[in-house]
Amino acid sequence: MRVTLISIPVLDQEKALQFYTEKLGFIKKKDAPLDGGNRWITLVSKEAQDGPELLLEPAPLHFEPSKVFQDALMEAGIPWTQFDVDNVDSEYKRLTDLGVEFSVKPAEMGTVRFAVFNDTCGNNIQIVQTL
Amino acid sequence: MTYYEEELRRIKAAVFGNQGQIDTVIGVRNYIDRNYENELSLELLSRARFVSKFHLIRLFKRYYGITPRQYLIDRRIAKSKKHLESGMSVTETCFAVGFKSLGSFSMLFKAKTGKSPFEFQKEQLSRSMVIHES
Repeated sequence: MRVTLISIPVLDQEKALQFYTEKLGFIKKKDAPLDGGNRWITLVSKEAQDGPELLLEPAPLHFEPSKVFQDALMEAGIPWTQFDVDNVDSEYKRLTDLGVEFSVKPAEMGTVRFAVFNDTCGNNIQIVQTL
Repeated sequence: MTYYEEELRRIKAAVFGNQGQIDTVIGVRNYIDRNYENELSLELLSRARFVSKFHLIRLFKRYYGITPRQYLIDRRIAKSKKHLESGMSVTETCFAVGFKSLGSFSMLFKAKTGKSPFEFQKEQLSRSMVIHES
């Protein structure tokens, strides 16, 4: 078995696709139509295009418990997903300049520097730099 | 303040209260980052930091979740992939990233990536040829 895919729940796939590619800088790898207007959309990092894929999963739209869970995480400020970056402070600057909102500004904890932003699709996302 | 921020504050105090230890392990990691292509000496490092080698290993594992040796191997394998992709020979790559024997390099590479360095390089090079042709 191999780890190749992680899912992120999003309310609006098209909006998520735009945010994750245009602002975060991921690259669209797969985009196939499914039933009921849903799509199978996966993204990869620019630096690791043969690495794990991120699936934009429309569960909150169709499966109520997923929506409830997502809303509760958002309300509590909890990031369920995190991405590695080389430099948290420069990403913070780049993303705030693009209008992205942060709920936790760059801070240190133990051997990491991290920050948390709102992906506008219902999720808190944490970015982390290992010190 | 959100629930998450309260939790961060609590965990920081409970788990990451000893800044001296944190500075030490960050120092060890930086030392590995700077020197992984060459001879590496944890003894030297522990003497410089006035702690025993075994204590250093324990601390590193506590804060990073892996031992310094595991981290060093991961660093070397990651760099060796870059060298192999750029066309450097397997033998050259092995010594360029600080391994002392081709046998242990090949074995570790295969264990970590599922392919031998030769197989990996063949795949990468044929892939880039396909891209150039298309």
